[in-house]
Amino acid sequence: MVADVNLKEIQRKVYMTFFQDGLWDIFLGLFILGWGLSILTEAAYLPGVFFTGIYFTIWGIKKWLTYPRIGYVRFSATSRRRITARFLILGTAVLLLGVMAAVLWGIGTRPQWLADYFPLIFNGMLAAIVCFVAYWARVNRFYLHAALIFLGAVFHLWLGTRWEFGFIGAGGIIVLIGLGILISFLRKYPKMVEEVHGEDLQ
Amino acid sequence: MVRTFNNGDQIPEPVTRIDRLIHEPSRYTLMAYLYVVEVADFLFLLRQTGMTWGNLSAHLGKLEVAGYVVIEKEFLGKKPHTTVRLTDEGRNAFEEYRGNMKRVLDNLPTK
Repeated sequence: MVADVNLKEIQRKVYMTFFQDGLWDIFLGLFILGWGLSILTEAAYLPGVFFTGIYFTIWGIKKWLTYPRIGYVRFSATSRRRITARFLILGTAVLLLGVMAAVLWGIGTRPQWLADYFPLIFNGMLAAIVCFVAYWARVNRFYLHAALIFLGAVFHLWLGTRWEFGFIGAGGIIVLIGLGILISFLRKYPKMVEEVHGEDLQ
Repeated sequence: MVRTFNNGDQIPEPVTRIDRLIHEPSRYTLMAYLYVVEVADFLFLLRQTGMTWGNLSAHLGKLEVAGYVVIEKEFLGKKPHTTVRLTDEGRNAFEEYRGNMKRVLDNLPTK
């Protein structure tokens, strides 16, 4: 029915405002960069530090940058629980992936095929998680981000580039995409102040 | 009370029960946005609907008078900040409106 379709479209539009400013793209890009730096420096804690630090910073930036431009909305308790559950699932999946990588990479004896194709498997699983985000949030450009992450492993296997450079490259490109979206967002939506009695308060 | 057209034909009941306050396209849009969230501020509704401040204020005022929305004003520092949410009455009225519209459209004769 028309009424039902319109309501679903409106709900989708409201969810999409979450991703309009490009900040989540920057978050993802920096997180992937963190993975690359972690492999480069053998500092296993880096992805966790990046994830936590940037995640909470993003919300502060949204309050300062995004809400004064497109306004603020609070979803219903049911929606908030659903969103929180998905974030928790994502975070857990990434954490498990990291633990799996650390365990498998740390094992002295492993099958040769695992040693050869481990980057492809790992990047593939990370890309699958990003694809899940793209599907859930209906943000199609996240499929591109997933492809970039997977390509890093492909280049490592077939061109012989270092595995960590694939992460750093993909992360860097994703950050640049996010910055481009953010700049476009800032131009499209100037800060607005509510009118009082027809006059702007500055 | 049975309502009729000028030619004497009876107006189908769901049509007579359509809430004219919600039926206005701008107010329907506002109610729809407020229905899918818990709270939205003025700026969000302005951006999503494309209305002017005055237009938005006028429509929300009518909905507030009808008891469909609650408008809360506060100051964040020196800046006014207005939030809007549907009341239970507003939520029920919107659902009833959607139901009535569905019945009207479902009962339309096919060609």
